[in-house]
Amino acid sequence: MNPTNSTTAHVPKPQLSQAELLYEAQQRQARNFRRNVGLSWGILLLVLIYLFSGQNFLGIKTISLDYEFIQNNMSFIARGIGQTFLVSALSITLAIVLALFAALGRLSKIPPVYALSTFYVSLIRGTPLYLQIFFFFLALPQLGIILTGLWAGVLALGLNYGAYMSEIFRAGLASVGKGQREAAIAIGMTPRQTMQRIVLPQALRFAIPPIGNDFIAMTKDSALVSATGFVHEIMWRATRVGRAQFHSLEALIMAAIFYWLITLVLSYIQSIIETRLSRGER
Amino acid sequence: MAPIIRISDLDKYFGQLHVLKQISMDVLPREVVCIIGRSGSGKSTLLRCINFLEEPSFGTIEVDGLKVETGTKGRERRQLVHDVRLKTGMVFQEFNLFPHMTVLENVIEGPVTVKGMDRVKAIELAEQNLDSVGLLFKKDEYPNRLSGGQKQRVAIARALTMEPKVMLFDEPTSALDPELIGEVLNVMKKVAKDGMTMLVVTHEMGFAREVADRVLVMADGEMIEDSKPEKLFSNPTDPRTKALIDRYRTGGN
Repeated sequence: MNPTNSTTAHVPKPQLSQAELLYEAQQRQARNFRRNVGLSWGILLLVLIYLFSGQNFLGIKTISLDYEFIQNNMSFIARGIGQTFLVSALSITLAIVLALFAALGRLSKIPPVYALSTFYVSLIRGTPLYLQIFFFFLALPQLGIILTGLWAGVLALGLNYGAYMSEIFRAGLASVGKGQREAAIAIGMTPRQTMQRIVLPQALRFAIPPIGNDFIAMTKDSALVSATGFVHEIMWRATRVGRAQFHSLEALIMAAIFYWLITLVLSYIQSIIETRLSRGER
Repeated sequence: MAPIIRISDLDKYFGQLHVLKQISMDVLPREVVCIIGRSGSGKSTLLRCINFLEEPSFGTIEVDGLKVETGTKGRERRQLVHDVRLKTGMVFQEFNLFPHMTVLENVIEGPVTVKGMDRVKAIELAEQNLDSVGLLFKKDEYPNRLSGGQKQRVAIARALTMEPKVMLFDEPTSALDPELIGEVLNVMKKVAKDGMTMLVVTHEMGFAREVADRVLVMADGEMIEDSKPEKLFSNPTDPRTKALIDRYRTGGN
């Protein structure tokens, strides 16, 4: 292969069909677009950083941060990442289980089961998440049920996301055609085997990308659990040191950066999983 | 010779709609029987009653000595229906391969999960059958990488790997592009030649004429004709059969 082929336009290229040329042109266009978007992102990021640099620019003083405070408290806030993950992971696990049952309930022909499922979804979606967290943490003790901040948060987040995620599973189950069940039955599978081997794997594959989205959303909503004052995740730590030393600006910016980085990493992991899953898709 | 399938006085209603009316028929071992008829004549429903994808309303179905009465319930009945399904392999119009499994996984799923067959043995059997439908080289592909004709051939291999006594084909070529029909029909001919008992709901008159031992004609839920293909195509008794055959002759369907 001649390496100059791709760079110099004048060197005659190997004969390409019209379709290949078109495809190449489209690819080039897409590459250019991605490169320019990346460049613009970089500029926006630099502008944002500059805004907080404390420099003088044409007589306008940008915001200056107390870097000593940041240095001293960075690790204190960073230690909340583990708790944030813990709350999110426990909650998403609970949510997945609840969502699956709620979705199966929605498909049930038995009225009380169907009703239980829709009742749960309606009640939870009809009330604020913030209220639900406080309900488990502050209202239940009045009935003699005392939950730690962590468990109150996990229960509230899990119940809440479960209600929303039931829709994902319902769509996933509905995406598996009747022919799939019939093919399974025809080779002698029991209803249970049909569900486990044929329907659920396809429904889950359908549901994994939106579950990933919800997990990312949950890592951020887990900040609400800090309101209980007993879960030492990122948000709790940021507000604590920020308020105590009147440096909420720096503290919240640090927290924001941590959340942002977490979601970027999770989004990246999700895109890898999605690529893997797309093999064998119909 | 004792029939391998015996259907007696079968009736099927969908609500008020009477889709199968007093159907009785026998199929002998190794026989190839084609069922033809216009759409809505009940031919697919009849086929689907044999492995209980549809529950018959009245009548009895007997497959290889297993006699299932309609209207019965309970555990014993469920076991009986399950056993009937193990004796019948089914091929669908829409192939219905499992998209989340490779070709090989599709074919061994039944033997391993349902029959509890040893995986190594199942793979051996599956590879034999994939080879006989000419698709062993596709065994590690996912179904979305196959053409319609290839999907249907895999579906046939999947059904054969359950080692059924009878194969049921429900319009196996109706969803295919015309140029892909031949490869599926050729595989079916091969299966017939190997001595499989086959019941084929089809619009392929050429196949019926060439391969079938008997052709049944359905119209409005009734079996209006049951004869040898040479007689049926040259000298049909019922005017509705004549109309059906003429329609295919003139190229319509």
